[in-house]
Amino acid sequence: MGIMRSNRRMKIGGGFILLICTAALAAPWLAPFPFDLQDTHAILQGPSSEHWMGTDRLGRDLLSRLLYGARMSLSVGIFTAAFAVLFGTVYGAVSGYIGGKTDNLLMRFVDLVYSLPDLLLIILITVTIGRGVLGILLALSLVSWVTVARIIRGEVLKLREFSYVEAARAVGASHRRILFLHILPNTLGVLIVTLTFRIPAAILAESTLSFIGLGIAPPFASWGSMANEGWTAMKFYPHLILFPSLFLFLTIVAFNVLGDGLRDILDPGRRFA
Amino acid sequence: MKWITFGAIILAVGFLSSFPFSGMDASGDKRTFRMTLSNEPPTLDWNLATDSVSFTVLINLMEGLTEYDDALRPRPAVARSWDVSPDGKIYHFHIRKDARWSDGKPVTASDFEYSWKRLLDPKTAAEYAYFLYDVEGAEDYNTGKVTRSDSVGVRALDDHTLEVRLNKAVVFFPSITTFMVTFPMRRDVVERYETSWTEPGNIVTNGPFVLESWHHEYKLTLRPNRYYAGGQPAVKAVALYIVNQPSTALTLYETGDLEMANLPPEAMASYRGNAEYTTGPLLRGYYYGFNVQKPPFTDPRIRRAFSMAIDRKEFPAILNRGELPASYWIPPGMPYHNSAIGLPFDPAGARRLLAEAGYPGGRGFPTVTAAFNTGPENSLIAENLQAQWKRNLDVKILLDNQEWKVYLKRLQTDPPPLFRLGWGADYPDPDNFMNLFTSTSGNNRTRWKNEQYDELIHSAATMRDPVARQSAYDEAQRILLERDVAIMPLFVATQNWVIKPYVGGLHINALELLYLKRIKLNRP
Amino acid sequence: MTRFIIHRLAWGIPVLWLVATTTFILMHIVPGGPFDQEKLLPPEIRANIDAKYHLDKPLLSQYVFYLQNLVHGDLGPSYKYIGRDVTDIIKETFPVSLQLGLSAVLISVLIGVGAGIAAASRARSWVDHTGMFLATAGISIPSFVLGTLLIMIFSFKLRLFPAALWEGWRYGILPAITLALLPAAYIARLTRSSMLEVLHQDFIRTARAKGFGEGYVLFNHALKNSVTPVISFLGPLTATLVTGSFVVEFIFSIPGMGRYFITAVTNRDYPLIMGVTLVYALVIVLANIGVDMMYSWIDPRMRVKKRA
Repeated sequence: MGIMRSNRRMKIGGGFILLICTAALAAPWLAPFPFDLQDTHAILQGPSSEHWMGTDRLGRDLLSRLLYGARMSLSVGIFTAAFAVLFGTVYGAVSGYIGGKTDNLLMRFVDLVYSLPDLLLIILITVTIGRGVLGILLALSLVSWVTVARIIRGEVLKLREFSYVEAARAVGASHRRILFLHILPNTLGVLIVTLTFRIPAAILAESTLSFIGLGIAPPFASWGSMANEGWTAMKFYPHLILFPSLFLFLTIVAFNVLGDGLRDILDPGRRFA
Repeated sequence: MKWITFGAIILAVGFLSSFPFSGMDASGDKRTFRMTLSNEPPTLDWNLATDSVSFTVLINLMEGLTEYDDALRPRPAVARSWDVSPDGKIYHFHIRKDARWSDGKPVTASDFEYSWKRLLDPKTAAEYAYFLYDVEGAEDYNTGKVTRSDSVGVRALDDHTLEVRLNKAVVFFPSITTFMVTFPMRRDVVERYETSWTEPGNIVTNGPFVLESWHHEYKLTLRPNRYYAGGQPAVKAVALYIVNQPSTALTLYETGDLEMANLPPEAMASYRGNAEYTTGPLLRGYYYGFNVQKPPFTDPRIRRAFSMAIDRKEFPAILNRGELPASYWIPPGMPYHNSAIGLPFDPAGARRLLAEAGYPGGRGFPTVTAAFNTGPENSLIAENLQAQWKRNLDVKILLDNQEWKVYLKRLQTDPPPLFRLGWGADYPDPDNFMNLFTSTSGNNRTRWKNEQYDELIHSAATMRDPVARQSAYDEAQRILLERDVAIMPLFVATQNWVIKPYVGGLHINALELLYLKRIKLNRP
Repeated sequence: MTRFIIHRLAWGIPVLWLVATTTFILMHIVPGGPFDQEKLLPPEIRANIDAKYHLDKPLLSQYVFYLQNLVHGDLGPSYKYIGRDVTDIIKETFPVSLQLGLSAVLISVLIGVGAGIAAASRARSWVDHTGMFLATAGISIPSFVLGTLLIMIFSFKLRLFPAALWEGWRYGILPAITLALLPAAYIARLTRSSMLEVLHQDFIRTARAKGFGEGYVLFNHALKNSVTPVISFLGPLTATLVTGSFVVEFIFSIPGMGRYFITAVTNRDYPLIMGVTLVYALVIVLANIGVDMMYSWIDPRMRVKKRA
């Protein structure tokens, strides 16, 4: 426990994440302007006392759009990761536990999905489902669960061999009970670490998607779509791309740092069966 | 040790293959003129082309009977002279004996006859077919009333004389013959190569330049046509890069990789005082059209409401290039322009109309999609319109965009309920702006037809009395924009270029004609 | 060895078939398909299109046609670029993306492995900490941010490299670096942790005890054994680079396959989308085979295992 408290990484990473999540949740109250309010008299202004982070090409307040964009990016990231972890865990655990031919088959499918480039699949799915938050969430989730499935399956395969499992079988515990009460709790560490790393991957994927114009549609904002609006004017109005990129960068770093810290603690070597 | 050799091989392969194939490395040669096109030309078949990107390439590859001088007056080109009958309806064009195609063969009057008849052939399905409707028998042939092209009033009397018989004495006919759809064409080339006749190597042209290469979606290169009778151009090569982002083009200009570039809105503030900056008016309107056959825009009240709910003064603020907010259609600089025409910005009135049409407060209004062709400026305008309609009408609009040539196709086959388009003048006469929306115009995407409007436009083309003509166009504009509201003009565009100081002979004009043969590169 | 390659290729074919079938299904299920608009064309033109694309036949025979054409390497005509075949488009654009991707692989492996070794061999020193901090930053910068930054600094301000286009080898440098940064950072982290593990093993201690120089120990003993996770990363790395190219080609106006893919999506040009997807799948299958081959070469133990 002393390790946890003194682990600087977790504190820094976790602290920033908490900050940005609170800001995102409180966006409707914190944002000084509505995110879609266009003011053609205030176009492309730099940071000022009225607009702390300046305005964009249509006179919209950047800070407000960043806060609402945070809601978009963070919710996409977190929900995708949550879904991926949920679905991937069940899939991987079941596959690893059952083993044999079923495991083989299930994993072949995972290999197939895994072998295709993420963004490619995401784009294909959004073509079918259509743009919009739901479509993006679905597409991102359908692609991210495979990594989780693989990892969890690996863990379950290892844990399955432990003697306490055999003991539980001997006592007559059902497979479901063993899986959910005994094995899965021991994957918790790896699970948490994986979750923490899935989030920045999802945020990055969503921002890339929005950047190439296949993500969230106007007038809604996400950090990626704001970067798309801003990168062409970097020479003249750097604040347009600077602030969204900064937010993206810091948030992703925070999650990665947190993940690193968590992994140090929850490292398999320190777990007890 | 095997390990190291393996690694070395990988390195070598990697490095060697990492050198991109270079096409012509145009940046090295000082007599190459380089600029960008914003999109891939949808087609280089000049009977089928309708847009300004294709046009920019084609006026350098080809030449028609006439061309424009710097004051936008038509002057002889392939035709060295022409005679008009006293009633103004019969033209005889005398073709230069030294006019030649890029394969050496002479340009003959039959090449013009073939091209014009192909334009009008219903099987060609050319959108610009209506452009030659003033020619006798053209409309009947194009609409299928007559199946043979013999009755069309264009005939090669001999190899060097082209006779044109018109329905009415169109005053500006020599301007019509400057336009790309009337350029001559080689029947043997078209019939031999069919759909790929415009590819480099197949295509045969008669202008100052030939199409040397066409790397699709990336670059076109031109080089001088040695058979061109008008004198060899001073530039020895032209590279036209297809760059969708204006800001990238500007960066390339600044790093010396281009000779001229268009200025995007964000660069305006920094470039205003710059010596390399030049600006000028354009006879080009930017508008959003309705497909009047698609609900809810079947109701003219709704169309009127939408047009009245736009504060057009926002556009110059956003685009920052001196755009003129316009609810009129005929632009300033064009004869018979009238800025008093068009619907005013009246959000209250717009809301009343919307309520009258059954959607008070915007309630129950179906979700409509506004479409535009991909481009940063179009996105800005579209987002602004979306916000204005929401703010002033409480109506939600979705946005959709596509690549230019795909978008054009979509407009041809199934126009969306709300679509963005522009129109640049083909000749400096209001007829060109107004006949766009007649029922026979292939460029009319609104599916709107109005007999009274058609009548006004047809008669105005021959009116000699300026007062009568003015009142005809005024009334026509009122029908188009105030009563039936088939389109919502937004603004008149301007042109804003940066041009390297060593480029000489480049005169920008309001018709966006870029005659590269007149350019000289005075580089040390 | 040959048997092994054939065996892996054989496994790749069902993968490709599955990808082809999935994309075919996806594309034909989607409402608002490519030819909804063509219904409004005059009848003769419609008849031409129907015949050319076999749209008048039942879905199953369309599928069979599609597969037949695939086997012959014919990916069909583009729906939106009339007169051009998907195969031609891919032939023009794939080499560009390939060059870009390979350069990026090279750069990322060289930088990543180099940084990882440096960090591991001087564990807990400032080299290690700075290196790993940079690596964490590296995996957190979106490629479009990096690309824009590089253009601003090296192209616009310093005039060292071109800002866009693809006209000679110099044009590939900034895009390749942009593409390579994230994988390089990832590889650095991977190499470092793997190397650290190896460096603590007994045989390293033995080597050192025997008196071999640190460099020799590092390169001949440690590196060979720690490079396995990097190699296994090369498979997904290809995937990353292949899709990372979308953004890079977009920013730098490079006429590669990735840029076509994006426009094909907005254009709803289904044959082009399917064709590009298949090519990507093929590349990954081949990359994975290459990775497996490298495994067996590096680790003789693997060679024996593969027999089964």
